[in-house]
Amino acid sequence: MNRATCTRPFCKKIPKCLWPLLLVAGFAVSSLAAEQQGPLKVGMELAYPPFEMTDTTGQPAGVSVDLAKALGISLGREIKIENMSFDGLIPALKTGKIDIILSSMTATPERAQSIDFSDPYLQTGLCLLVRKDSSVQTIADLDQAGMTVAVKKGTTGHNYASKELKKTKVLVLDKEAAALLEVVQGKADAFIYDQMSTYSNWKRNPQTTRAILKPFQQESWAIGIRKDNTALKEEINSFLKDYRAKGGFEKLGDTWLLEQKQEFKRLGYPFFL
Amino acid sequence: MGGLTTLWRMPDNDAPSLISRLMAFALVLLLLSALFFFSFSQLQYGWNWTAVWQYRQKFLHGWMTTLLISVAALGLSLLISVFFALARRSRLLPLRYLAILYIEGVRGTPLLVQILVFFYVVADAFGINNRYVVGILTLAFFAGAYLSEIIRAGIESIGESQVESARAIGLTTFQTYRFVILPQVVRRILPPLAGQFASLVKDSSLLSIIAVSEFTLNAQEVNAFTFSTLESYLPLAVGYLLLTLPISLFSRHLEQKFRYAT
Repeated sequence: MNRATCTRPFCKKIPKCLWPLLLVAGFAVSSLAAEQQGPLKVGMELAYPPFEMTDTTGQPAGVSVDLAKALGISLGREIKIENMSFDGLIPALKTGKIDIILSSMTATPERAQSIDFSDPYLQTGLCLLVRKDSSVQTIADLDQAGMTVAVKKGTTGHNYASKELKKTKVLVLDKEAAALLEVVQGKADAFIYDQMSTYSNWKRNPQTTRAILKPFQQESWAIGIRKDNTALKEEINSFLKDYRAKGGFEKLGDTWLLEQKQEFKRLGYPFFL
Repeated sequence: MGGLTTLWRMPDNDAPSLISRLMAFALVLLLLSALFFFSFSQLQYGWNWTAVWQYRQKFLHGWMTTLLISVAALGLSLLISVFFALARRSRLLPLRYLAILYIEGVRGTPLLVQILVFFYVVADAFGINNRYVVGILTLAFFAGAYLSEIIRAGIESIGESQVESARAIGLTTFQTYRFVILPQVVRRILPPLAGQFASLVKDSSLLSIIAVSEFTLNAQEVNAFTFSTLESYLPLAVGYLLLTLPISLFSRHLEQKFRYAT
């Protein structure tokens, strides 16, 4: 609404000095309305290849990015990827800075106290990366005094280590690469992380490390949604069901994780995307 | 009107009265509290202090670690900086260039990179695996570069004529430094020195990237477990203030003490 289109008599009664105020108010209301139908803000940490990463031009890429794009098409909304650190995702979702979390996040009971989760879309498990010459075979071998494990801050591995490994020294690191380096240099006895990353880390350092891929804790990844947002949750769940039925996840796995998929099949470990 | 202005103004030749000092302090405190109270009251945020309270032991442990690391790095950095400040003015050219390279290299590169390179490359090559020792050393060398330039500036601010006068009355180089230069330098560099020490305490938070379990890392862990961001980080701010305020107060005390030196 602006002055030129206003022909009603009561408009004349509004003092001139109030017009800028009205314009600002009108703009604020209209931008608020636009925001509600605006892009779906997807929070992820682009530091977890091949799920969340950036391509050579710096654009977000990976399994989760493709999944987010498919979700956007299904919802008829544009998507906007917000890159932030993993332990900042839940606070960002709670304060409305992002609309969903799609960042290889495990649906844990602790997290479910703060946010809602969609149906799981991927099954994986925690496993170990140890030094090649290490005698460690199972997680029980690590739960002893004098043992040191590396974990990435805020991950389920971090949570597991601080709760279950009472006698072990836990090194909490910000970056996956640093945790890997701790094992490679022999500063830590093991790195507790998920199967797929452990597999890639082992493949990249075959001279120094060994992967114990048998999971000691099963977990499933899901999309995080704000607690009050049940409508979006239902939409996402039906999208996931539909996407699976159409073979979308199969295709994502073939595009991004073909090697892991075949290797896991050979080893007989569950791998479901 | 006249009474009001004298209440708020610094007298020309006299120290301000206790009442006007208290009043001024209370006014500023009130304004700042009002600002923060308003900001926090506007916040739509589900406070959850109980979850964070369960981890109080973790906060305490982290705070103690930061305290110990800071004290050790502070002492060490002072030694390092005095050495390099003197080396920077040395007549021995290799020593002088060593100091220049050290100062420019350390001041010109990010502390984050220094910590990573020192721990995973240099210390690893020399077989030093204690991350706390490496952390303290890195921090001390980092702060030392800044401190040595502060000290050098302090030394060079003393007029050449004073050194010449000292020599004229027969003082040795050591005596000149001890009785003429040093007392003046200490008083002049105390304020920037205190600032640099406060920086050192806060910079120790970067040691979390090599898994040194210091204050910031512990607060971040609590945040990761409880998802209560502000409740985890506000105690962090208070904790750091408890570490840096004594430094400022002590430096002000020393400034008073050295006032008689000149």
